[in-house]
Amino acid sequence: MMGRTRLISRAASICLVSTLALFCMSACQKVDTNKEPKTGVAAFYDGRNIKWIIPYSPGGGYDEYARLISPYLEKYTGARVDIYNMPGAGGLRGNNALFGAAKNGLTIGSINGSAMVTNELAEMRGANYKISEFEFLGRIVSDTRVLVISLDSGYETFEQIWDAGEGVIIGATGLGGSTFVDAVVANEAFDLQLKIVHGFDSSSVLRQAMLRGDIIGSWGSWGSALDAVDEGRHRVVLQSGIERSADLADVPTAFEMAEKTPDPEHTRAILAAWESLHKVGRPVAVPPGTPPERIQFLREAFEKALHDPELIAKAEKSGRVIRYASGEEMTQLVEEAMQMPDNIKQFFISAVKGQL
Amino acid sequence: MGIVEGLLSGFLQAVSLDVFPYLFVGAVFGLLIGVIPGLSGHFAMAMIIPFLYSMDPAPGIAFLLGAHSTVAQGGGLTAIFFSTPGTGQNAATLLDGPPMRDKGLGAMAAGAALTACFLGATFGAVALALLLPVLQRIVLFFGPPEIFVLALLALTFVAVLGKEDIIRSLIAALAGLLLAMIGLDNVTNTERFTFGWLELHDGLELVPVILGLFAVAEMFELWVKGGSLSGPQTKMLSTRETQKQIFQGIITAFRHWWLILRCSSIGAAMGLIPGLGSAPAAFVAYGHAKQSSKTPEEFGKGNIEGVIGSEAANDAVEGGALASTIAFGVPGSSSMAILLGALFILGVETGPNMLTYHVDVIFVMIFTIIIGNFIGMVGGMFLVNPLSRATGLRASILVPVLLVIVFTGAFAVQRSFFDIGIALLFGVIGYLMKVLGYSRAALLIGFVLGFTVEKNLYLAVQLSGPDFIFNPIPLTLASITVVFLAYNVWTIIRDRGQSKTTRAEQQE
Repeated sequence: MMGRTRLISRAASICLVSTLALFCMSACQKVDTNKEPKTGVAAFYDGRNIKWIIPYSPGGGYDEYARLISPYLEKYTGARVDIYNMPGAGGLRGNNALFGAAKNGLTIGSINGSAMVTNELAEMRGANYKISEFEFLGRIVSDTRVLVISLDSGYETFEQIWDAGEGVIIGATGLGGSTFVDAVVANEAFDLQLKIVHGFDSSSVLRQAMLRGDIIGSWGSWGSALDAVDEGRHRVVLQSGIERSADLADVPTAFEMAEKTPDPEHTRAILAAWESLHKVGRPVAVPPGTPPERIQFLREAFEKALHDPELIAKAEKSGRVIRYASGEEMTQLVEEAMQMPDNIKQFFISAVKGQL
Repeated sequence: MGIVEGLLSGFLQAVSLDVFPYLFVGAVFGLLIGVIPGLSGHFAMAMIIPFLYSMDPAPGIAFLLGAHSTVAQGGGLTAIFFSTPGTGQNAATLLDGPPMRDKGLGAMAAGAALTACFLGATFGAVALALLLPVLQRIVLFFGPPEIFVLALLALTFVAVLGKEDIIRSLIAALAGLLLAMIGLDNVTNTERFTFGWLELHDGLELVPVILGLFAVAEMFELWVKGGSLSGPQTKMLSTRETQKQIFQGIITAFRHWWLILRCSSIGAAMGLIPGLGSAPAAFVAYGHAKQSSKTPEEFGKGNIEGVIGSEAANDAVEGGALASTIAFGVPGSSSMAILLGALFILGVETGPNMLTYHVDVIFVMIFTIIIGNFIGMVGGMFLVNPLSRATGLRASILVPVLLVIVFTGAFAVQRSFFDIGIALLFGVIGYLMKVLGYSRAALLIGFVLGFTVEKNLYLAVQLSGPDFIFNPIPLTLASITVVFLAYNVWTIIRDRGQSKTTRAEQQE
């Protein structure tokens, strides 16, 4: 009887110790090795907690970027960074929370740039923020959107899809979501007759539909298509942007294709607006009204963090592209994205609202 | 690499000193996360991801999957002892687990649940291994038309769950379907039943609803009744008696190996299909256990078969989900989506290349699931005694403590105070349903499957037109649904006829 009880308590302590070990391991990562005394803003941040709002669930692209970067942000700010997932309403909930957060420089947040710009332009209900009023710390990455098709679709190039005309089905996630808007934009810009079927749960369900042959392909971010393309399961036939990105050197860009349309002017105007949205990409910001010296400090720390060789190596390993832009540049990029010509703006608003 | 070679190499890697410690720590971590309501498998995995950058593939996978594989075991314990599902998957365990506790058989239920989990997970993992050669073709069979009909079939299990009172069960199931409609309709972007609240845009979150329906409702009841969770009639068991019960539970689970086998197959098959989700699997298995039981009338009143069936399916799901993840990089559940990201970080390719060149990695996963669940089973048994003792606490102490944990769990999913309100609201609804004799399980199944049914119907019609139902697989599944439903309606009518005659006899 005694023996058994001892066994139980021993096992219980093993459980406890191993859990403690796990927490210690996580704590070890956060030990600050910088021992110099700190002054000014650095002293303010030293040992404080920074809350990093992610407007999506754990495990997604935004979350992974934040978990990748946060140790380095800790390294250069001296603060602890807590990742705070606030999914909901397509990113609106987290974004609204960031806009209204305390202005003390201790809350930062990731923003889905293109979605938040178009939501504001379309005056979507629930968009309780002004994107140009955010104070940007910088951008993690700009978006390269790609049209991915399955290997068995019978198509090999974008031109072939172009010629195929009606009856070709492209899949998309939610109505007005980015995969949907991309498809609508491409249809309009290149006068394609592709049928867009939306309502797929996620990019992984889209992949399965491609493999089954339900759809020939879908639009998506290059980051999420990367692994499947690397493994030779899908093929990228078109990428957004003006110049080909380094790892997609064989794939024509949308702007290259614009030359082949009957009305290149119109096509280029749409593509330019589309591209300005992609350039906003995934910025990190603090709410408006944050003290300027803290913004400056955070901007510097963010820049250093994103240029840390260790971070860059890790990002490469996980296939996460980093395309840094400074906070000042971000303000400029957001401005540009907001200033679309009226007719193009109307088109994007209808695309986001799913009225096309 | 051949299969046999991969199997050996995978096994040796899983038990090597480089890997096993991570597996152990992961499994214990997962078990504890599972015990805490609201924290689920993908939370545990997201916590572990930052460690993976500096790890080799085998220890990384063992760490991650070890944690993931034991979460449902921990959740089952909380479900049995505190009527609170530790994770969404454990909701079906609530039907018979807590009633067993009330009879003073909590430890036995826990022993059986842990063993069933282990056996179910082992079955799922072995099924994964056996399916490897044909995996790709199987997963491709299931697109929107098939998932639609399959979800419909799962819905008809409501009929089995609530056989005793079919009208009330149907009301509950339809109410569940209605609740699933709340939020932005992803086909037309129309807001449905949101009352203009942004919080309701994405619909009701599953975890707060489950926590409310079952856990909070239970707390209300306990509060109203007073006393303790274990009930006044049962006296506190000594450590020795608890251990005896656990062993009885283990033996009972092994005795029901045939049931475990069947329920595990249900779980593994449902896990294989991306987009169906893991929560319905346990309910379908429960329905099957009840259907095939010799004493179906005892279900819901503390029948151990109900616990065994749902817990076995619960863990077998993961083997199936893993299969579709490996074969195509198409994750079968949200946890598997995280796993996929983690595999990429670890530099492991999925898809055909993995099946050709990295068979050993697949076997590391298989053995991790088996060994991890074994650790979870043994570790879980040590938790039984303290947990069962806690159920003897007075309501005035236990209710506030548990409510704090439950509400924290509801909040933690989305960091939303609104979800605490949801849990509270569904606590009231759940309590009323319990008092008035409506099936909460039926409501939950309707809620879980409503969205799946609607969305896949839309996609099926868009992709293949309205006659998709006449394709071979949907047609077969639809026929099974109709036959199954007809059989159940027939038995209900027959039973009613019988009970009328018996009543008439009694009156005479």
